[in-house]
Amino acid sequence: MKIGKRIIGTLALPLLTLLAVWLISGARGVALFETQLNLLTFIRAAANVMLVTFALAINLNSGRFDFSVGSVALLSSVISSKLALALGWGPLAMLLVSICAGALLGLISGAVYVTVKLPPIIVSLAVALFFEGLAFTITGGHGVSFANKASLLGFSTIPNFLIIIVLTLLFMIIIFDHTRFGYEYKALLSGQKVAVNTGIREIPNALLCYTIAGALMGAQGFISATTNGTIQMSLNFGSISPMFMAFLPMFIGGFIGRFSNDKLGYFLGAVCSALISLLYVRLNVSSSVQQITSALLLVGFLIYLNNEGKLKALFVRKERGV
Amino acid sequence: MKTVKKFLAVLLAAVTVFSLSACGSDPNQTTGTAPAASASSEAEKSGPDDSKNVKIGVLVSDVTSAEALAFRAYYEEYIQKQYNVTFMYSDELADAAAEASAIDNFIANNCKAIISFASADRPAQIEQCEANGVYYAVATGTLTDEQYEKFKSYKYYVGAIGPDLMTEYMAGYNMAKSFLDQGYKYFGMFGGATPYYTEMHIYRAAGMLVAMCEAGKGTYLGASDFGGMIGAIYGAGCQLAPAVIGDVELVGYVGGYDFDDAWFGKLAAVANDPKVEVLLAVGSGQTAFAGFKREGQKLGDIDCYTKDSVALMESGTLNYLAGKFSASIGPIFMATLSAVQGHPIRNAEGNAFAIGQGYWVADNAETAKEYFAVDSSKTEPAYTRAMLDTLYGASYQDFENFVKAYSFDEIKNLAK
Repeated sequence: MKIGKRIIGTLALPLLTLLAVWLISGARGVALFETQLNLLTFIRAAANVMLVTFALAINLNSGRFDFSVGSVALLSSVISSKLALALGWGPLAMLLVSICAGALLGLISGAVYVTVKLPPIIVSLAVALFFEGLAFTITGGHGVSFANKASLLGFSTIPNFLIIIVLTLLFMIIIFDHTRFGYEYKALLSGQKVAVNTGIREIPNALLCYTIAGALMGAQGFISATTNGTIQMSLNFGSISPMFMAFLPMFIGGFIGRFSNDKLGYFLGAVCSALISLLYVRLNVSSSVQQITSALLLVGFLIYLNNEGKLKALFVRKERGV
Repeated sequence: MKTVKKFLAVLLAAVTVFSLSACGSDPNQTTGTAPAASASSEAEKSGPDDSKNVKIGVLVSDVTSAEALAFRAYYEEYIQKQYNVTFMYSDELADAAAEASAIDNFIANNCKAIISFASADRPAQIEQCEANGVYYAVATGTLTDEQYEKFKSYKYYVGAIGPDLMTEYMAGYNMAKSFLDQGYKYFGMFGGATPYYTEMHIYRAAGMLVAMCEAGKGTYLGASDFGGMIGAIYGAGCQLAPAVIGDVELVGYVGGYDFDDAWFGKLAAVANDPKVEVLLAVGSGQTAFAGFKREGQKLGDIDCYTKDSVALMESGTLNYLAGKFSASIGPIFMATLSAVQGHPIRNAEGNAFAIGQGYWVADNAETAKEYFAVDSSKTEPAYTRAMLDTLYGASYQDFENFVKAYSFDEIKNLAK
């Protein structure tokens, strides 16, 4: 594929999204990035969505639908915040503990999956309930509050979120594109039976996928907790909802991945999602309108993806004058 | 042999049908005359009968909020230890169907009464309990006027105690007024579940806005009094927006509980608006605003007393808290127990009661600490057994007087 086509394919959607939100906000007389807080809101949303998108995509691409990602974020943030408050740690230590706790919880989730050999969607539901219950028990149901701890809340700055974004993106590209684990992961994606027959061990690969996804969600849980200084408990699959923010970026990432790196695609998909979030904030869009809009965008994009071939054929026929 | 088996099967079915119909039938089930209200001084003197365990089902629509946990702790860690009762809690009930299923489960488990914190379909709950001869009471809530008129004479409807809508309105009004009286003019508001047509939050928001209208000598959505404001809020589809209200200004407003990036972004935007002096929340203010609050800003919330809220008061992050106290559900428990043991408390007309009860208000850390210490006590809560026993079989007037004396100081006097 020519380099120009690659660049256009990679940047088209994010640029179109930026143009659209800029025009809509401009039409309402509102500047999109009026203050530094608007930029912070955008960067934080991009980091948040990117982490969830990566976490979900790692397993979903392998056919493993994981409903437990939200509960991993919840429990890892509970563990890290409880420790940070008890031991007087700063945000960096809390972040590292959250990532490690998330990795361990992800590993547990993967271990349950490979042990019980049930469909991953079923296993993930059970794990989600278990982790939610564990978080509830640890906090006595009261959640965690550190809204008056400026040191922990002070993590929410633009440079810190940019560091998280860059480090995560580099980590994902290196791990999945330049390591043996990554090669084996892709081999398993493209043909599991053949890959296993060539000697690739599927179970360790799956366990590592769950561990990495858990680590990413640990970071997301930390970001979520330090945004407003509270961690609210969820029961009965209440923690599942964060995962749905990843669907649109995931599909956008898959589209962009055809022209360049799919990890870059997921990140740019998160950027698109964050721009839309910022538009909702700047225009103070009500939650009902937000949900309808987000759903329409997702469905619209899926319809396009599913009919891309037909649309291309239509344009080709029109060009030929048929 | 086959014939014998068929005969036995038919006999078993017939026995089942007759036994079920015998359980279900109760000539006094249908609405009609209710027992006349009367003070049972003998019952009051003897106190509750602790010889036989009474199972009480508890319907809950929320199991994770601090308020729900505090209520549960009061019932399970104090009341259940003081009285020979067993509370059976439902799971988190999301809708009317779940409520009906939970009630069926309670009845199957021989619950003699149901105390309800769930309000998806209270009329259906009352009808279901009436049909099954199970006492039903509303905790921390009220029926609408129309609902009360319909169900007040039901034999198994005990009554309701909780903040009525006027109490909710005044809670919001008093909170906003306390800051307006200090000279603050620029407000940010969190409307909570107002966009979801939740009356409790709508009335609290209305109270705040009317206080602003009075102070600013202006109007909001063309309204400036109680009735007009409620109508205006509903007329706007419960979607509030910032506005100038005379000399006062609602600078920013966020409603709903989305918990997504956009929601946090909106809350941060309101809190970080340099014009906003005071952040007011109809509920969950500690979640919504506390983390974004700027130095020098004030925060007022209508919620409950928790260790975290006291810590926020002590650090100056939270400046005003109107909260329900967990023992406020004590009187409705006693009224329910009293009814189960044959001494229902009815008003002068012989109907179920509907009594309003309000909040404890703290505007400084010491008061909040004092309230929380009592509210969270497992041995000396606000309503102890000795106090609740005086309500057993009490006259309606005595019961009402007790419940209405809900302020912290009044309860301290009652305890003496």
